[in-house]
Amino acid sequence: MDLTWTPEERAFREEVRAFVQAKLPPELRAKTFAHHRLKREDYLTWHRLLAAQGWGAPSWPIEHGGTGWNPLQRLIFEIECFKAGAPRLLPFGLGMIGPVLMKYGSQAQKDRFLSRIITVDDWWCQGYSEPGSGSDLASLKTRAERVGDRYIINGQKTWTTLAHHADWMFCLARTDPTAKAQRGISMILIDMKQPGVQVRPIKTLDGSAEVNEVWLENVEAPLENLIGEENAGWTYAKYLLGHERSGIAGIGHCHRELAILKALAERMMASGESVSLNPRVRDAINRVEAQVLALEMMVLRVATDDTTEPGPKASILKIRGSELQMELAKLQMQVAGAESWPYDPEWMFADSAFHGPGPDYAAAAAAAYFDMRKTAIYGGTNEVQKGIIAKQIIGV
Amino acid sequence: MDFSYSEEQRMLTDSLRRLVTDEWTRPKRRARMGGLDAGAWGSLVELGVGGLMVSEEFGGFGESPATMLAVHQELGRGLVSEPTISSAVMAVTVLNHSDCQALKQRWLSAHADGEAVLAVAWQEAGERDAQRPLCTRATALADGYALDGQKILVWHGAAADGVIVSALLDGESALFMVEQGAQGLSCEDFPTFDGGRAATLRFDRVFVKKEQLIATGAQAQDLLALAIDFGITALCAQACGAMAALTDTTIQYLKTRKQFGQPLAAFQVLQHRLGDMLIQSEMGLSMTYAATIGLAEQDPVKRARLVSMAKIEVAVAARFVGESAVQLHGGMGVTDELEVGDFFKRLTYVDLLLGDTNYHLQRLQDLTV
Repeated sequence: MDLTWTPEERAFREEVRAFVQAKLPPELRAKTFAHHRLKREDYLTWHRLLAAQGWGAPSWPIEHGGTGWNPLQRLIFEIECFKAGAPRLLPFGLGMIGPVLMKYGSQAQKDRFLSRIITVDDWWCQGYSEPGSGSDLASLKTRAERVGDRYIINGQKTWTTLAHHADWMFCLARTDPTAKAQRGISMILIDMKQPGVQVRPIKTLDGSAEVNEVWLENVEAPLENLIGEENAGWTYAKYLLGHERSGIAGIGHCHRELAILKALAERMMASGESVSLNPRVRDAINRVEAQVLALEMMVLRVATDDTTEPGPKASILKIRGSELQMELAKLQMQVAGAESWPYDPEWMFADSAFHGPGPDYAAAAAAAYFDMRKTAIYGGTNEVQKGIIAKQIIGV
Repeated sequence: MDFSYSEEQRMLTDSLRRLVTDEWTRPKRRARMGGLDAGAWGSLVELGVGGLMVSEEFGGFGESPATMLAVHQELGRGLVSEPTISSAVMAVTVLNHSDCQALKQRWLSAHADGEAVLAVAWQEAGERDAQRPLCTRATALADGYALDGQKILVWHGAAADGVIVSALLDGESALFMVEQGAQGLSCEDFPTFDGGRAATLRFDRVFVKKEQLIATGAQAQDLLALAIDFGITALCAQACGAMAALTDTTIQYLKTRKQFGQPLAAFQVLQHRLGDMLIQSEMGLSMTYAATIGLAEQDPVKRARLVSMAKIEVAVAARFVGESAVQLHGGMGVTDELEVGDFFKRLTYVDLLLGDTNYHLQRLQDLTV
């Protein structure tokens, strides 16, 4: 065991830091620190700056256009980017369908899709959840029928994040209605820009609409858009979720929010002095900082542990990551206090003039608190994750 | 001690529950979010909410804090966002306990009749928890006073016909009654995250007549502190009503929603969460009873301690119940499409308004008996 960063790792951190410092547009940085809504172009800008540097796919092997970085490098990269105020990387291509294509996709699919993920020439969305199938995903009802050289797909998906920007959906659909639960499901790639695909935004607690309902009505996909084998989609779906859950720790996000929390406590005033001087507030901030550090160490341990499957341990990261994201948002709201009470969703767009009564950095705090509740629900609820820990790690 | 409702209290709460069930549905509430709706306010006044705490001498019912507790539970259950706390409890409390007969005559009876809405403006930028004015000043003139300064987070400030404003007069606290529309007074109205309204009021040489001075010095401080303590107790009562309603809604949802071939209510981990919600809800209500007893205390230190304890405990309970309801509703819970989110937001502001938890912990420490 050696718990020190090597000179190479330190140099890498410096390299990333210098790059982000030089290339991240200041207005983008300002947006993320203020919790303003990011537009499609904001994501594209950052992805393409990274792609130009050769860093467009930090978690991919070199043969597919990735960086070939080891898990430690990836973590250093994530944390440095978030700390500097870079937008998150869109997970749907890089973290979800990309790895599935690499493992199970046909050569034609790899050639067609992988490089376009890195430059976001294709924007992907995830067609998993349905109104009646949330935690119990395997009960999904969307149907894909083979008709000649294509599938005809009918059904409804929900909670589809950023589907309104998407060019493609990787969709779970039932190809064998007679088979039980998991067995009759296939994963099919669907072109979103066709008649029969309808996207309706779902407004969430903070007044934004990042998630959508998607209706699929006689939507077509050629047979070559099937991933792997028909009726084996559940295997690919689970492989994908394992990837999603390890990224879901949100350690970079936690570091950034911790920095925002500290800055907010310095600037907010109550009873005539900076809130950061209140010993109760300082205790809370020091405690959450310790918890973020513990999460980072846990992420490092899991990421570098090649003796076991990351699958079940990812559930620990998902639970703690979401708990800390929620805690940091709650503390920001408490530090902003009653000044986070006035709120209009319109204030969260950087280009609409700010009309709130208090400091603009306080206005977003309560909204972020409401929004972060989703982290304990998406990607498998924390209750479901604890079930996985009990079953797969503890073995009961 | 008797926790059962009197016949009058039972009739009043029954009528209120019927009213809010019919008239405070989600679509109706949302349609009224832009400002104070005269019809909605009028229907509350008709059932006695406007005059509930107003002394009988001025046309009110002069009800006890216990009746206030019963009434405000119903208002919280219905997510009533009209100025029932800021005006009908806080502003009325200031006037009730003041000595200004003319102001009482002018405003209290109008309030009981639904002809006037009032607000209390005491918070200042950077001073959100302080009860003592620091920047807003009153200058004595020959025939009255001139007010200069700014107040923030004035609950329903834009809807108020009269605003009770704290200001420094010769280095001492003072409370003034300022009429909306007074020259030099500007009001900027903002939406709040719960669908309510709060305003920033700016005073630029606002002239107020001598007789609009409500109180000065220790009396002004005491009146404001009393009004805030009444407001906190009403806020806690509304939170208790909201927690009870939200817990019921969540129980119903878990009985209906099926996953893995059975209702969610069949999963033990979710049953336990419901149990914890119920425990928090009941403990919050119990603590609110303690605060209500505190309001009748002659010793302001004892009163303040009971009210602060309730505020702290109810804020914790409210957050737990709100967060749990969202969690148990899964994806649906984080949408803006169910009442769950409206309840969650309402329960969230309990911690933030009328002095946050850190403020009340400090007050408990300062007022150790």
